[in-house]
Amino acid sequence: MSLNKNMRVLIVDDYNTMLRILRNLLRQLEFNNVEEASDGEEALRALRRDPHDLVISDWNMAPMTGLDLLRCVRSDDKLRRIPFIMVTAESKTENVVAAKQAGVSNYIVKPFNAETLRAKIGSVFGTA
Amino acid sequence: MTGPVAPSPSALHIEDAHGYLERLIRELHALGNERKQPLVTVLEYVSRHIAQTREEVGSLRPAGANSLSSTADELEEIVNETAKAANEIMGAAESVETIAIGTDPGTREALQAAATRIYEASAFQDITGQRITKVVRALQHIESRVEALTRACGAAISASSSGNVANADESLLNGPQLGRNAATQSEIDSLFAAAELPS
Repeated sequence: MSLNKNMRVLIVDDYNTMLRILRNLLRQLEFNNVEEASDGEEALRALRRDPHDLVISDWNMAPMTGLDLLRCVRSDDKLRRIPFIMVTAESKTENVVAAKQAGVSNYIVKPFNAETLRAKIGSVFGTA
Repeated sequence: MTGPVAPSPSALHIEDAHGYLERLIRELHALGNERKQPLVTVLEYVSRHIAQTREEVGSLRPAGANSLSSTADELEEIVNETAKAANEIMGAAESVETIAIGTDPGTREALQAAATRIYEASAFQDITGQRITKVVRALQHIESRVEALTRACGAAISASSSGNVANADESLLNGPQLGRNAATQSEIDSLFAAAELPS
């Protein structure tokens, strides 16, 4: 099964440089339908406004963290099936466990490379 | 001994307690009983140590360029400056990718791979930014605790923390300006032109 590169991707991070990095790496992977949000609340508004096919989110943000965003997405009937990849510097065992229990689709630890991003997206959609 | 009633323990500050102790010492000195002397000696010892502690606490609050909030501002400026640098670098990488489109496949692939490595490396700004944010929060917490401790002690600000500088030249050593306060070259040129030559 090939990946739909036109899928609508929402990237969420409170650092503009990281949003730019993700946008550029996704563009290199031929994902050009990418929307940005700089915190969980803005992301939730975007997700409720328009349908999205993938969320790639940081964890450490305010006022809403990526984990809280994930929990909101998974508890919303209209959003709960959206694949959600956490991309974060949080790397302790308890972080990964908490994210998994909250329903994260995959987990990337920063700093990461383009190949990891490609592989994790592929893994989430069963094409890796 | 007559005098004002001591406030309830919850409202008592060290400054008030010290005041009451000093008063007690004075009252005891006024008594004619020789057996009071050991007690007076101990109380004077305690009073001196309280005074010294209040002075030490007062000196915890450096003012001006060495204050904790000023240090936090400097750290936040690091985050801003590194973000600017990372964005400049990525802008250049994006230009390289655009130029690569018009080249032969081998060159294009090599240039795109180089651009990818630049994007990956630019994540340093995110990592360092998060670390610095943790440090800034810790500094802000320390500053608020020092403020609370200073208030509780009623500590006098010592001369060393009041911002008075013994050496006038030291006051000229402030390091890079924070972005929002930074003078432009044009403003510097105007100041330079207006500054008087030594007579």
